[in-house]
Amino acid sequence: MVTASRGQRPGDGEDTAVAQSGASKSGQNQVKGGKSSASGRQSVAAARRSSPGNNRTQLIIGGIAIVVIIAIVVFGVVLNRQQTATQAEGYGASTQSVATASADGVVTVTKPGSTPKATIDVYEDALCPACAELERQFGQQINQELDNGNLTVNYHMVDFLNPSSHSGDYSSRAAGALLCVAQDSGSQPGVYMAMHSALFAPENQPAENGSTDLSNQQLADLAKAAGASDQAQTCISTGANTQGATTAAATFMTNLGTITGGRAGTPTVVQNGAPVTLNSDWLTKLVG
Amino acid sequence: MTNTRTVSRGGRIRDVLGVLSRLVLAAVLLISGVIKALDARETIVAVRAYQLVPESLVGAVAAVLPYLEIALGLLLLIGLATRLAAVLAAVVMVIFVAAVTSAAARGLSIDCGCFGGGGEVAAGQTAYTAEILRDLGLLAMAVYLTIRPDTPLSVDRLVHRRAADPA
Repeated sequence: MVTASRGQRPGDGEDTAVAQSGASKSGQNQVKGGKSSASGRQSVAAARRSSPGNNRTQLIIGGIAIVVIIAIVVFGVVLNRQQTATQAEGYGASTQSVATASADGVVTVTKPGSTPKATIDVYEDALCPACAELERQFGQQINQELDNGNLTVNYHMVDFLNPSSHSGDYSSRAAGALLCVAQDSGSQPGVYMAMHSALFAPENQPAENGSTDLSNQQLADLAKAAGASDQAQTCISTGANTQGATTAAATFMTNLGTITGGRAGTPTVVQNGAPVTLNSDWLTKLVG
Repeated sequence: MTNTRTVSRGGRIRDVLGVLSRLVLAAVLLISGVIKALDARETIVAVRAYQLVPESLVGAVAAVLPYLEIALGLLLLIGLATRLAAVLAAVVMVIFVAAVTSAAARGLSIDCGCFGGGGEVAAGQTAYTAEILRDLGLLAMAVYLTIRPDTPLSVDRLVHRRAADPA
């Protein structure tokens, strides 16, 4: 199969393939259903194989097919670039949102005094590449809508990818670090969102099944760079909230399983109890 | 199953098998391609989740794959250049089977993203065996069409008839 496909080059595709199959399978196959006698079929088949007109037909068909494929793919790539473009590119960090951690480990981010048009529940694992992709495409737009007072975000950090992390508990420690920032520096505008973005930045996020990940001290350093207080940094470097985050994550995963009908995966954005389909304009529509 | 004077029973069965393979393969490629195309970000995620393509190529693969599936699906649907389309579809299926198998072997916890979606799922919620079996079934259809690309209700047969019997 693979050999056959390698032999098939776009340029000579159909034509060569039929010619090579020759009198055996293809020839026989091509006349089935024909309305001629047995001898007539053979002669027609022979004529098809040898006639220059038929070869040219094959070539034209193959050519048309290749043009169709190329046209559709080129159209698709152009469309794709629009669909995956970073939203609100250039907006940057949130400057006005504050964060509060609930007793069960949910971190709520919103602009103080605002009446948001939409509230979303975001389920993420700090190690999940898909979550980093969500952050790349929509992170700045989320910051913008938070600052505009249009949005409230409830972050539920889960840790089911712990086994894929080098340390075995990276997801839990990162979730704990975010809880530390929310508890100790949540009232400082933009700090929680900055820490959240930092965790998913390509230069910081560890690879799944990678050879390394971030230590608690490195997580604390990220928090420091995000503007978190000394208290928050100590909370992170001592891993004070790792256990609490683990406990919270177990409940979040159960909830997520229910919400997604047993297909719990991250990232999942939930509004009014149902997962949101994350098209390029999902957030624009949500706050529109 | 009555034989007509001109078409053998074997020919009939091959016709039915051929046209069914072509249309089923076309439908699956079109549906999976359209779903992937509609959710481009999820497709990036799904491609990346396999960890088989370097990061710099993830976007390109995720952009091309859905539309390649759609193009092959359309060709198979109308039966234009069936053998070429079947060969390419077989290549795509071989790649899918290899990718899912490798994900399973490496113990990745991902959704295959075959019909959109994809990315990480919780351990124990993967469905690799079913995904591989389905792709192998589709691969068998593509191989069959590569061997016997001449099927009823196809542009190919229409054009060949014209070319062979200009009457």
